[in-house]
Amino acid sequence: MIPLRLARRNLFRHRLRTLLTLGSVATAVFLITVLRPLVSTLDAGVRQAASNRLIVQSAVSLFVSLPRSYQEKIRAVDGVEEVLKFNWFGGYYQDPKNFFGQFGVDAENLLATYPEIELLSGSEEEFIANRRGCLIGDGLVRRYGWQVGDAVPIIGALYPRLDGEPWDFQVAGIYHSATSNVDNGTLFFHYEYVQEAQDAGAAGGPEGVGVFTLRLAPGADEMAVMADVDGLFENGPQRVQTNREAEFQAQFVSMVGNVPFFVNSIGGGVFLAILLAVLNTMLLAGREQTRDAGVLKALGFTAREVAGMLLTQGLFLGLVGGAMGVGLALVAEPALLSVLGNMFPGYGITLMAASFGLSLALLVGVVSGLAPAYLVSRTSCVESLRAEI
Amino acid sequence: MLKIPLRYHLRSLYVRRGATALTILGVGATVAVLAGVLALEQGFATLFSEGGRPDVAVMMRPGATNEGDSIFSRERGEALIKSLEEIAVDGNGQPLAALESFLAVRLFKVEGGETNVPIRGVQPGSFAIGGAGLVMDSGRTIEFGTDEVIVGSSLTSRIQNCRTGDVIVLNTTPFRVVGSFSADGPASSEIWGDLDRLGQALERRSPSRILARLRPGTDLDALAERLENHPTAPAKVMGEAEYLSSQTAMLSIVLTALGGFLALVMGVGAVFTSTNTMLAALAARSHEIGVLRALGYRPLGVFLGFLLESLLLGLGGGLVGCLFASFLSGVETGTTNFQTFTEVAFAFRVTPSVLLSAVTFSLALGLIGGAWPAWRAARLSPTAAMRRG
Repeated sequence: MIPLRLARRNLFRHRLRTLLTLGSVATAVFLITVLRPLVSTLDAGVRQAASNRLIVQSAVSLFVSLPRSYQEKIRAVDGVEEVLKFNWFGGYYQDPKNFFGQFGVDAENLLATYPEIELLSGSEEEFIANRRGCLIGDGLVRRYGWQVGDAVPIIGALYPRLDGEPWDFQVAGIYHSATSNVDNGTLFFHYEYVQEAQDAGAAGGPEGVGVFTLRLAPGADEMAVMADVDGLFENGPQRVQTNREAEFQAQFVSMVGNVPFFVNSIGGGVFLAILLAVLNTMLLAGREQTRDAGVLKALGFTAREVAGMLLTQGLFLGLVGGAMGVGLALVAEPALLSVLGNMFPGYGITLMAASFGLSLALLVGVVSGLAPAYLVSRTSCVESLRAEI
Repeated sequence: MLKIPLRYHLRSLYVRRGATALTILGVGATVAVLAGVLALEQGFATLFSEGGRPDVAVMMRPGATNEGDSIFSRERGEALIKSLEEIAVDGNGQPLAALESFLAVRLFKVEGGETNVPIRGVQPGSFAIGGAGLVMDSGRTIEFGTDEVIVGSSLTSRIQNCRTGDVIVLNTTPFRVVGSFSADGPASSEIWGDLDRLGQALERRSPSRILARLRPGTDLDALAERLENHPTAPAKVMGEAEYLSSQTAMLSIVLTALGGFLALVMGVGAVFTSTNTMLAALAARSHEIGVLRALGYRPLGVFLGFLLESLLLGLGGGLVGCLFASFLSGVETGTTNFQTFTEVAFAFRVTPSVLLSAVTFSLALGLIGGAWPAWRAARLSPTAAMRRG
């Protein structure tokens, strides 16, 4: 067995080269580790969707509203415990750049239907009692610093007020959801607040309700409920489609469906680039150590042991470089979250992404260690000793 | 000052062809990723910018940022068209203008999965305005007053039921596909039908925009300002080109930022690689450098020579990267236009400006990667260098 020290000494023979190689492995693993979670956070909402909720939406378009009268008809269906209005508001705070989700809901049923929404401060009673009250996610608190009691003026791009003023919401509570199916950067308000203004002719925008969230009674037959609800409106005025919450969320994922492809192509390019870089370094090292290999063989070490020494060097470069890359990714995580958090809520360096990055680095280490090891083991002892570098 | 002949450097690269090839391929992979992202951005931006007709104006509800947000009352729209002097007229004195509606409908892709396809309600004026490069590829155009649609050429092979003769059911009304068309710009990803028939089927009678050809010499800005403050029918007026480019702004920013981030991080990795290669070249050739110096070549000449070699490596990498990226050219892909949440088909476009950016980037990599080794080469003392080698 060749002492490990020899492999280490060889790596330190060209300290700068080793450092540069580690640097390129680290940057590549960093990139792969930070890009990878983009794919997995994308469908986190689908994976964590609740199984006792169904979503009733227009069968025609995401942008077609359903008549308000549907709510009572759906509630009467067997197996339905509660029905919640859920209406996309599409406004913004001060400037279109400050964009986040706002939904008009039935305030008194929101928390009962979405038990994963936990209030951190404020109270549900406050929210229900105040017609202008709203609940905001802690993500919005981080972004804008709003606190309970603050007024939040939202400009209604889709629901413009005829007086040209923004809508005036008041923060009644701050929530956090532990699961990704409810975004922590959302504002929930009373559906009636806007509807009453529309009825009074003081505001524009589409009438009706975007989707209904339906809570199943315990033990209800999901398929039967879906068929019954769809059947109710088979002949119009608006046909509906009832989906499991997971399927509803999946529609949004399929809209940005090319992200996995882009991330994988970029990752492929990055992987190729480091593989070639490390291979280059290890082939150089292998060439320089040809004569050493001859000496070792002459001393009685087997070809396999000599090859092992080169492989150890490759593995070291892969593993240490990989660990540095993952470390960099963890350091950069807060900065990345602040940039990507809006488009990819819940973005974070996952264990999966980190181990994926490390495994690729390891693979690079093995391949680039084996290549010179193979070359050296094929060269005879005498040839190696004669070699001119 | 004596210049080291170019042939010396070319031969040096050739002698170490293994390392040269690996470096070039590694830099190439880096450049290819960057060029791919740029080509994507170009493809998307060109699609939208080439569709903009210079003398066509788009009028929407004040405050709307896209057609999906905008609703116009029909009476106001018609009154506006009649009252505007700026709108050009055809041979019969009819204004060249049309009310159009816009809705993203849920349709299924041929390969499975759902997507949002824009469906546009049009009027005879939509065709009469002309100049959009609209050509029927197959079948015929719609007959107004009937339940017929024509389908953009990008959709026919990607979306189910979009071939001539097929039937698309919208809400409860079946529409017959009577032809397919191609056009400049994003219209190739749209379905067109009669404004009134579609409005009835979809329960959405209000148009979302007015499209109008303006008389030559119309001052668009003045018109926009006048209509913004119109007492009875205020409207937001934009040139069509301006409107279309505003639709791509978000994706362009995302892609440019992504490209910049990738270029920076992967660039660092690539610089490490080329520095390594050049340092190895330096180590193996110190003897030669000593000889060159002894022959009378100045340190500056050696410095420039080594830098040139590194630039050649970078250039090679850039050309290889462009070659990789050129395979992408013309590849069709789809992405969501996040302004209207509809899918748009477009092709990667490896334009001269993409290639120029890629090669410039690769030369910069070579320059930065070669600077330090070249400086070290220039500082070698002739005697020490010759003795060492």
